[in-house]
Amino acid sequence: MTWISKITTAFGILLLADACYSAYEHSVLQTHRAASLSSLAASHNAPSSSLPIDITIETIVATFIVCLGIVLGTSNLRPIQWRVWAGKIEREGEAGFLNNNGEVEKDYVGNPFRLLESRPGFVDIRKQRKEFAEWVKNK
Amino acid sequence: MSSSLLHPPSHLPPGTALQLSQQAPGILGNSTGAVSSSFFQSILSAPETPELWITYENLLLSCLRTGDDESAHQCLGRLVNRFGDDNERIMALKGILKEADADGPATLDTVLKEYDQILQDNPTNIPILKRRVALLRSTGQISKSVSALISLLDISPTDAEAWAELSDLYFSQGLYSQAIFALEEVLVLQPNAWNIYARLGEILYISSKSSGNAGQLVEALKRFSRSIELCDGYLRGHYGLKLTAKQLLSDFPAGLSNRIDSDGFAVPDVTTLKRLDEMATEKLAEIVRRSSAGERGWQGYDEAEIKATRELLESGSSETIR
Repeated sequence: MTWISKITTAFGILLLADACYSAYEHSVLQTHRAASLSSLAASHNAPSSSLPIDITIETIVATFIVCLGIVLGTSNLRPIQWRVWAGKIEREGEAGFLNNNGEVEKDYVGNPFRLLESRPGFVDIRKQRKEFAEWVKNK
Repeated sequence: MSSSLLHPPSHLPPGTALQLSQQAPGILGNSTGAVSSSFFQSILSAPETPELWITYENLLLSCLRTGDDESAHQCLGRLVNRFGDDNERIMALKGILKEADADGPATLDTVLKEYDQILQDNPTNIPILKRRVALLRSTGQISKSVSALISLLDISPTDAEAWAELSDLYFSQGLYSQAIFALEEVLVLQPNAWNIYARLGEILYISSKSSGNAGQLVEALKRFSRSIELCDGYLRGHYGLKLTAKQLLSDFPAGLSNRIDSDGFAVPDVTTLKRLDEMATEKLAEIVRRSSAGERGWQGYDEAEIKATRELLESGSSETIR
């Protein structure tokens, strides 16, 4: 999740918490008011006022902001067509598969068939050591 | 090419391998080698991830390659601690270590005998079978390694890596038709491998040059085209396509249109070949231009391949300037 999506989601959650607490306060106020009224006038039932409209608006807006924040934090879509995906790997290498933090995605494996040409199960370790030693000498 | 330690290092250029093996002291020092299998400690400590062990294995291979035997032994020690001595992969890694430490043909013979001993107890130990083939090839006993590989393929015929190794062995001996057959088996197992289509095209091209068989040249054209179908803008595919189209145009300037391929595929006529050549040249030029300009999103190519492409394009353009 990028920082902007984190901020937006956090703000939306704060708003939601505030709206929920306001609604709770309102219901407590209702019961308190009803309790004090019933002690003054036994038969008179004051109509309970419905939830103030601004709390409702705040809840709905908070929900939208949370959804917006989560959507902003999704990673880049990757190509679906095989040839486009393969072309992307060949052309961009690992730079084309960065996640939101700028690191390479965990499940990026490059060209999955590259192992058929490098064949790690049959690696000739002595030849590789010799070649490396020569490369160091020639550097 | 990923330079992370999560991928096998055998294809990396030497500079990157050196860099990775220099991370060894850091990684080994980071965590102690102690892995406990008691219940309470495994709850309290951080959960082990599969990536940790893959990192150790690739670090081991990188260190062996750069000559850092000390760290390599430490990595192996940790892997053995975790997985035990009887694990097939661990046995193969121990074998690699012994081969790398070996100081002469006598020691290598001992290692080979050890492999044979392990295989007597368990004839289907695939990693050890592969190590045996690799050691036979490394010591120059090619015919024995080929027969060992064929018996491996009898045990496990769906191992694409083994078929690819067989193709490479045959190719190194100049037995092109067998190499082509083995690579076709790889394609049966992995039909979407664009780089294997390019490799098959390359072998067909080389084989047709040595045997003068035009049908192989046409088939090389098909294989390169398929590799481009599977991978947009594949450098190797376009390179091969250009080479084969030019070769066909120069060998048969009147065209081969009266021949039908064995698959019922009509051999392309001269105009099609010219258009293929042009298309490949255009694409290659674009790749070279963008990649050398340092454009973002075009940096995944290998430098040596870009250089070779540039040379091909320059040699092609000089021919048209008369």
